Amino acid sequence: MSDGRTLAPQRPELVTEGPAPTRPRWLEMVMSSDHKDIGRIYIGAALSFLVLGIVGFLLIRLQLAIPENDLIEPITFNRLLSVDSATLIVLFALPFVFGLYTYVIPLQIGARALAFPRLASLSLWLYVFGGAILYASFVYTPPEAGFNSWPPLSDTVFISNNGPDVWIAGVGLTVLGLVLQAINLAVTISRLRAPGMAWRRLPTFAFSGAVSSWTMIVAGSAMVAALVMLEIDRHFGGVFFDPGEGGAPIYYQHLSWIFFTGCYLIFLLPAIGAISEILPVFSGKPLLSRGALMASIAAIMPLGLLAWMQNMMSASIPIGWLYGAMLMALLLAIPIGAVFVNWIGTIAGGVLRLRAPMVFALAAISTLSFGLIGELIQSVIPVNWLLADTTASTAATGYVLVGGPVLGGLAALYYWFPKMTGRTMGEGLAKPSAALIVLGAQLTFIPLFLAGLAGQQVDIFKFFESSDAINAEHLNAYNLIATIGGFILSLGVVLSIANAYVGIRRGVPAGHDAWGGDTLEWFATSPPPPHNFDVIPDVRSDEPLRDIREAVRRHDASRATPAETGEPVA
Amino acid sequence: MLGFLSPQSAHSPNADDLNTLYWVMLVIGLVLLVAINGALLAMVMRFRSARGREPRRLKVRRPAQIGTAGALAALAAVTFVLGVIETDNAKQVEASGPDGLQATSALTAQRSLSLPAVSATSAPLEIRACGQQWIWRYEYPDGTYSYYELVVPVDTTVVLHLCSTDVVHRWWVPGLSGKFDATPGESNSTWFKADETGDFDGASYAFSGASYAVMRTRVHVVDVPTYQAWLQQQAAGIQEAQNFVQRALGES
Repeated sequence: MSDGRTLAPQRPELVTEGPAPTRPRWLEMVMSSDHKDIGRIYIGAALSFLVLGIVGFLLIRLQLAIPENDLIEPITFNRLLSVDSATLIVLFALPFVFGLYTYVIPLQIGARALAFPRLASLSLWLYVFGGAILYASFVYTPPEAGFNSWPPLSDTVFISNNGPDVWIAGVGLTVLGLVLQAINLAVTISRLRAPGMAWRRLPTFAFSGAVSSWTMIVAGSAMVAALVMLEIDRHFGGVFFDPGEGGAPIYYQHLSWIFFTGCYLIFLLPAIGAISEILPVFSGKPLLSRGALMASIAAIMPLGLLAWMQNMMSASIPIGWLYGAMLMALLLAIPIGAVFVNWIGTIAGGVLRLRAPMVFALAAISTLSFGLIGELIQSVIPVNWLLADTTASTAATGYVLVGGPVLGGLAALYYWFPKMTGRTMGEGLAKPSAALIVLGAQLTFIPLFLAGLAGQQVDIFKFFESSDAINAEHLNAYNLIATIGGFILSLGVVLSIANAYVGIRRGVPAGHDAWGGDTLEWFATSPPPPHNFDVIPDVRSDEPLRDIREAVRRHDASRATPAETGEPVA
Repeated sequence: MLGFLSPQSAHSPNADDLNTLYWVMLVIGLVLLVAINGALLAMVMRFRSARGREPRRLKVRRPAQIGTAGALAALAAVTFVLGVIETDNAKQVEASGPDGLQATSALTAQRSLSLPAVSATSAPLEIRACGQQWIWRYEYPDGTYSYYELVVPVDTTVVLHLCSTDVVHRWWVPGLSGKFDATPGESNSTWFKADETGDFDGASYAFSGASYAVMRTRVHVVDVPTYQAWLQQQAAGIQEAQNFVQRALGES
């Protein structure tokens, strides 16, 4: 009864800590199948790959800072491009959010472990080895077939070196690992919830985790299948994607776009889930229309996935299918719009505490709004014909990448960091970091949008002088500003990563319930013991910890000794 | 004033459709953007300080939910219908205009007879645009071909049949319709009708390997006599080059 966290004084104090480990701590962690160790390694590896991704991104932006730059050779640029886009999407964004899910979800739903702990370990190491393979290729032949390795370009006829094989292996293993982890999380959420935790009472982050996992199971499987077929085409005499031999390149386009559309949704859904947890806690009032918000999260997945042909408006596909994709993409406005309205309604009338997680969540909302509206604009086919494959569409996607996994993911990291380490990340670095990211994103993506309107292509290793370019006047200025913005954006991101690194050992001790959250993970100690909870409470509402606090208050009041009437800690 | 927000000016009827819808969507987008960010900023400013208030524990506001969903559904419906209409318009191949290719000869004959001009129902000029790493090859109906530069007569409907001999390419000349893929093994086409003479620069918009960035193209729009003269000159030039090669091969 020392910390006031318990329901009753007869709480069992004897817990199963097990024998003290004899192996070194890092070895314990590497061999662990505990979701908390796996989640932390996922997050750490993802943030490390983010640093590599930032280096690649800055090199690309440097090359495109001035027209007809010779800083980087064309072939080197294409290799950088192929590795960097895989890094940012497959090695950073997806593992980062799945790492957060892996760490947080069992705690949020009151589970003691994942459904398949060893499978989680396998998925983690598939990812780490996949990433290592991709980067090891820099010592022999890096891939050069572009960000989605489309055949026929990625076939042996056009690229006979081993680059595309490395890309296939690296991306394939990582995605396979993520699909396994998604299965693990989906089963965990559906089978291991605490007693009384109905689906409707799931924390929004955990619910978004279920939806993201289903998305990954569908989209990731499509990609693994496509990559296996591509490899068979390359080296084992296959004709899956060979035109004129019974196959067609467009099959790969469909499969890869199903995957990248799924990735886009996984940029979005975890951020929506995390922001929907953070806003209520830091506004001091419950989430507005939880039911509608969860329905929106659920609706985004099928609508979004069915809109994959949104990316293929220029392909020779019967127009009826394209109308279908356009309809799905436009219908997405309903759930996404509802999410924004409920967020703003949640803040309204609250008492805002602008701590780091809240600042990042607000920054994420604003940045996401730019990206999603940019996407809405090009959801109609005629506008898509104008903007697709120009830097305008990159800008829209970039906003979502920065708003989702970067700002939204960092908001989640700032929010749950005290749970993971028992310490908070510094507020002093957090706010400048958020400001730099928001400013940098605008400075990068607004000029890129305008350059796209002027016709600048995506993925080019150089652009031409304004006078010579496609009727564009300000192309030079746009690209230069975007490069400067890219550096500001990157500085902001690196500040937060450094902040996390420093915070692990030097952060301010935070206590078990750092922010006064209402979800179950704050019921555990910080950091939680291997089995998470000594007692798994009955869940009676969607704010279980609030109920527990109420119960403790009532319990204390009934015993009303002068020493115990104070506000409970938790 | 808003020139920087404008797409390339349209020089073909279908490009006009694209640009019209772009402006509609841009205005919708900007309104939503200002609404969301304005509301967010206003709420943060207003409720930032505690001032000893207790937050309202409001959990649901159903009329607002239904209103929002309804408004967004209406937005989706309207933009969908607009999208279908403008896509349909853009895909509708128009007939060549009065100054266009085949119409011109008929028109001169009719003028001399003082008859009213017939509606231009002449067949469009069909040209094959073949992408290959890293240049576009244009094949004209009479068998002539050109690389990089497509020469077409003004006010004439040109139907481009896209093809690729190697990897996926994507043809787009801003101001003359939208982007269309040239995928090996697939047939795809687009059309345009240039409204004035001049040069229109474009490029390939699908990543195609090492020299993708320099895979550019130009549509050179000229008046009909110039076009016909160019066609003859190009044919003669190709013939001459082939003869030269034949001779060279014979000598060696």
